[in-house]
Amino acid sequence: MSHDNHHSGGSHEEHKHHILPESMGIKIWLILLFFTFITVWIAQFDFGAWNFIIAMAVATFKATLVCMFFMGLKYDSKENVVIFCTSFLFVTFFMILTFADVLIRSDSIPKGEAFFKTASGPAKFKKPWNSTPEIVAHGKALFDAQCVTCHGSAGQGNGPASAGLNPKPRNFTATDGWKNGRKPSVIVGTLTKGLNSMPAFATLPAEDRWALAHYVTQFGPSIDKDSPADLTKAGVDTSKDVIGEVVSKSVPVDFVIERMSEDNR
Amino acid sequence: MGNKNHHAHHFESAAAEFEASKQGLWVFLVNEVLFFAGLFVAYAIYRILNPDLMHEAHKYLNWKLGATNTVVLICSSLTMALGVTAAQKGQQKKSANLILVTILLACVFLVIKYFEYMHKIHEGLLPGGLFSYHEPIHPKAPQFFSVYFVLTGLHGIHVIGGIVVLAWIYMRTLRGEFTDKYFTPVECTGLYWHFVDLVWIYLFPLLYLAS
Repeated sequence: MSHDNHHSGGSHEEHKHHILPESMGIKIWLILLFFTFITVWIAQFDFGAWNFIIAMAVATFKATLVCMFFMGLKYDSKENVVIFCTSFLFVTFFMILTFADVLIRSDSIPKGEAFFKTASGPAKFKKPWNSTPEIVAHGKALFDAQCVTCHGSAGQGNGPASAGLNPKPRNFTATDGWKNGRKPSVIVGTLTKGLNSMPAFATLPAEDRWALAHYVTQFGPSIDKDSPADLTKAGVDTSKDVIGEVVSKSVPVDFVIERMSEDNR
Repeated sequence: MGNKNHHAHHFESAAAEFEASKQGLWVFLVNEVLFFAGLFVAYAIYRILNPDLMHEAHKYLNWKLGATNTVVLICSSLTMALGVTAAQKGQQKKSANLILVTILLACVFLVIKYFEYMHKIHEGLLPGGLFSYHEPIHPKAPQFFSVYFVLTGLHGIHVIGGIVVLAWIYMRTLRGEFTDKYFTPVECTGLYWHFVDLVWIYLFPLLYLAS
């Protein structure tokens, strides 16, 4: 409008400034109050995803009224309308690009959340360093979910992913090559720290690592037992029911890679 | 800034000066929209990644206080709009009173916000590492309160800034600096104040009613 005035060279006194009539202001105010009530009233019903959509639609309607009448954009110059609306165009770009980035990265999908929950649950087994049919069954479930990729379902170290690994994954059915013995405490140590291509599974609760150790020793021809000295060396206080170990909050990179490759299979 | 009927020498006319000032304010509001957009996008992503949490966390906010504050701000937007109308008509006394009511409503908003914040602080519903609620809600609940405090805090700073500018405009109106020919600062302050209301129109359903 200012430009028009410049170029027409006409008297600026002709330029009529729009004044919002008081009655109009009060009408807009009543509509805004009514829709605030609607927003609150509708929130008590459960329409699933529609609740959010309705709330945003009502908010946008209210915002439009404020912009058009209270802020006078309806009567303002086209330039100002374009300037203000441009901001929302850029907000849209901002949202689309950020959402695209977040949502295509698999590590940001809440799947990881479920994993953390299992890693910090309450103790399921008393004295998990003792082998029982229950803890062995739990170990089998964990093994079938997380270890078969490399170690194979029969524990022979011939899982699908073993082809690319050197040295080969541990064959639990063989008795040779166990420098530190085939005892559960030793296997727990390997699960905790990792060994060669074997990643550390320190984020698993200690009792899950013991469950896995009890299960894999059952593959072999013989079952070696831990002596009290072995247990003490492994940090177990046999007078207690649970292992007083702080579960690591960080996830080793290898472990994440393995999880991701498993998830993508 | 020109005063009364005089305009600065680099403007062709008072009308051109008014249009330029107002356009400058619209550009400032574009900047404000994008400023708040960063936080709104953060909120949206947080919501997408933690759908279950949004259902839980909003229960710890008092929607009645949020709704009251929404009504307070809408009323302040009306008194502001009527104050601008009065200024444009040259009714200075009426304009001053309406601006004063707008300031008082803004203060009511802040007092309610103060009680909300005090309650949160007392309960330990605080951002990030400060979170110390007596019972576990959700592992990501501290992040919700980070989003809550930063969004409402930034909005609160805008309300405080609005009160300062409104007080300045109120004093100038009382001094009789504005006429039906010159009311640029009143109208521009009005635009800013309505923007503060706009942000809250979205914040209220997003934070207090999210489910």
